[in-house]
Amino acid sequence: MIRNNRTAAALEGLAAGNDEGLGTLMLTPAELVWLIAAVAKGDEAAFERLYAATRAKLFGVVLRILRRQDLAEEVIQEAYVKIWNSAGQFNPGVASPITWMASIARNRAIDVVRKRTEASIEEEPSAMEVAADSPDPLARREMTEELKRLLECVGRLEPDRQKLVLLAYYNGWSREQLAAKFETPVNTVKTWLRRSMMDIRECLGL
Amino acid sequence: MMAYSEDHIALAAEYALGTLDADERAQAEAMMSVDKDFAAMVEAWSTKLGALNQMVGSVEPSPEVWDRIKLAAGLSGVQMPLVLPEAPPPPPAETAAVEPAPVPEPSNVVAFPGPVRRWRTIATAMTAIAAALIAIVVTQVVRPDLLPDSIRPTPRTQVVEVKAPPAPAPAQYVAVLQKDGGSPAFILTVDGATRNFTVRKVGDTAAEPGKSFELWLISDRLGPPRSLGVIGAGDFTARPTLASYDTDIVKAATYAVTVEQAGGSPDGKPTLPPVFAGKLIETVPQAGR
Repeated sequence: MIRNNRTAAALEGLAAGNDEGLGTLMLTPAELVWLIAAVAKGDEAAFERLYAATRAKLFGVVLRILRRQDLAEEVIQEAYVKIWNSAGQFNPGVASPITWMASIARNRAIDVVRKRTEASIEEEPSAMEVAADSPDPLARREMTEELKRLLECVGRLEPDRQKLVLLAYYNGWSREQLAAKFETPVNTVKTWLRRSMMDIRECLGL
Repeated sequence: MMAYSEDHIALAAEYALGTLDADERAQAEAMMSVDKDFAAMVEAWSTKLGALNQMVGSVEPSPEVWDRIKLAAGLSGVQMPLVLPEAPPPPPAETAAVEPAPVPEPSNVVAFPGPVRRWRTIATAMTAIAAALIAIVVTQVVRPDLLPDSIRPTPRTQVVEVKAPPAPAPAQYVAVLQKDGGSPAFILTVDGATRNFTVRKVGDTAAEPGKSFELWLISDRLGPPRSLGVIGAGDFTARPTLASYDTDIVKAATYAVTVEQAGGSPDGKPTLPPVFAGKLIETVPQAGR
């Protein structure tokens, strides 16, 4: 349990808080699975409902990484077009609908930030500010089992590495940005990241 | 799946985490498209790490985003106002007045009102803009030129302008196919209008005796990689084999080169993971400079 507190501490200031009303806006996973199945058949009304139910979550994820409304909206647009085109490939046995959709949007956002290295350096101060907010982390009872399990594994890493992994995930930081933040050579960050992922893998039994 | 080396496992994990650089991401994507087990490993990581998104607060995007999605996805709803059969033909002067004002969006062809079919002819639309052929002489594909126009900084000196055709020219696309961020091995150029492409060998790239390099188009919209043919022994290989693919697919695809037996893969599928890979970069339109 100590490690959970440590994780909560590492999370503090990394993740934006849970919106009130999130639960009422979001449909249940089963409803989302149904909507995606309808979208796969070309049902435009279902696509509009799917968008309405998920856009704010996906936008929150990509905005955190891109730090710019215009870029984030462009990425969201591309992500939903991809969701529309590849809904037939969604496998509810592998991922939850929101995880699948968020992963499409987040990957696109990461592609965009990785391709604009110069610009991201000047943006780093604002990204740093984000890391300094301290919104409330989700109450433990609101977390899914998957999240609790993952946080338990992240929590077993050394505190610095917990922060490293979470900053990489939430802010989409590159190894260079992480190296600057931790005042350590990029190669060290590379080793830490790799080691951390291997430790998480073992802990999760992946 | 357990047979993967730690390098491969780390590549999958870091792809999902997001810490790979642009070249490594292109490599990982190329591997995902040819190796189902590797793709499954990446997906497993994405799913596990995806739980973290529960902690991220929701933020509403602006309402126009949905309109842009409808247009870009080609939803039928967006065409309705244009196909009203009983609308009387308005007098010409009024037509001009009713015409929707162009959305002030420098790059986005998506913003054009009108039948979505026009999307398909994006290349044609671009003939209005003279394009310059750009040769990328950087060893890394990590360039701001990859970004959509609206966010693209002014091109800088690493980009060598070769020639701007005198007449309105179709958009040109370039991909640098390389390995692990190393020196480019091939430069692929695609003509936006005809979709003819040319592959140029760079440096001393050569297939071993008895082997051939084969070029593949990888698109998540098409499933398995599609062969674009064997790359010839000369410095340049030109082919029309992209012409049958949609412009959108051609622009967004990853291009990869595998080593196959002489004459190419016997069954139309890559037999080994790609050795070189890259994505197309749209060259900077003249109007943007």
